[in-house]
Amino acid sequence: MAYDVKAVKREWEGHETELQWGRYPVEHEPIRRHCHMIDDANPLFIEAGRCPPVMVDFFASRGPWPAGEFDILGLIRRIPTPGDRLINLNQEFEWFLPVRVGDRLGVRHKVVSIHQRATRLDPLSVWIRTETTIVNIREDMVARRSNQILIHRTPEEIATGVSRS
Amino acid sequence: MNAIPQRCWEEVADGEDLAGFSLELTRTRMALQVSGTQDFYPIHHDTAFARGAGHEDIFINTGFIRACLCRVLTDWIGAEGFVRRLAFQMRTPNLVGETITARGRVTQKGPEGRVELEVWIENAGKGVTAPGSATVTLPSRR
Repeated sequence: MAYDVKAVKREWEGHETELQWGRYPVEHEPIRRHCHMIDDANPLFIEAGRCPPVMVDFFASRGPWPAGEFDILGLIRRIPTPGDRLINLNQEFEWFLPVRVGDRLGVRHKVVSIHQRATRLDPLSVWIRTETTIVNIREDMVARRSNQILIHRTPEEIATGVSRS
Repeated sequence: MNAIPQRCWEEVADGEDLAGFSLELTRTRMALQVSGTQDFYPIHHDTAFARGAGHEDIFINTGFIRACLCRVLTDWIGAEGFVRRLAFQMRTPNLVGETITARGRVTQKGPEGRVELEVWIENAGKGVTAPGSATVTLPSRR
């Protein structure tokens, strides 16, 4: 059966997850690992306990283990698509409040739009735009993020005409 | 804690270049990427998986790219500056074995300490692979 993008759009566009709190508060150790990754020796992060702006969604998520909702992946995986390989094409972040070690953060994700458009990777590629809202313990908005995700099949699946949905 | 130089809005000039930095994407750096982002999607650490998905090899993830772009900004704004916005596109994968450089440039000084910038990732063999833009606010000298 052909992939019915209109039915998927009807079911999923506008879908919003409930507010979910990060498993742990903002901590020094993940900040140190983040800074190590890119040779960032900024003492505001590795000594003074400020959270690098781009880490707020990490601390608002449940993390990769124990298994659970990790950022938008759980939501994306529930949306029917021909393939299951995904690429993040672009991202935009806006920040409204600073975050420090000890703060607790929560998150909501929303499916903004779903389209099907061919790419060089897969003629049945699906494009999903999401919006993520991150809040502090008072539920004040700390940051807002949008992502453009591309979902595609493997070359093997394309060659054999396999579609998961 | 080491003192951090504080840049004030009045000192900023349109077209000013921000100090960038380079990173060689060694296998160890790719391992640091997984550790630092906790992104275990195999396309970023498993060559066979990446090739099976149609890619040349493993490549750095969104978390790594945005961390580099954000560091260009936070290295520059000092303790009293604030990063308000960062947007970027990932146009070409940056593969293991390649070298990237993160850079930034002031595009416009706005009111109330606001500064607009372009930021980007350059790849030694591919040119700009991740172009972006950002907004920061800086304190005033007064």
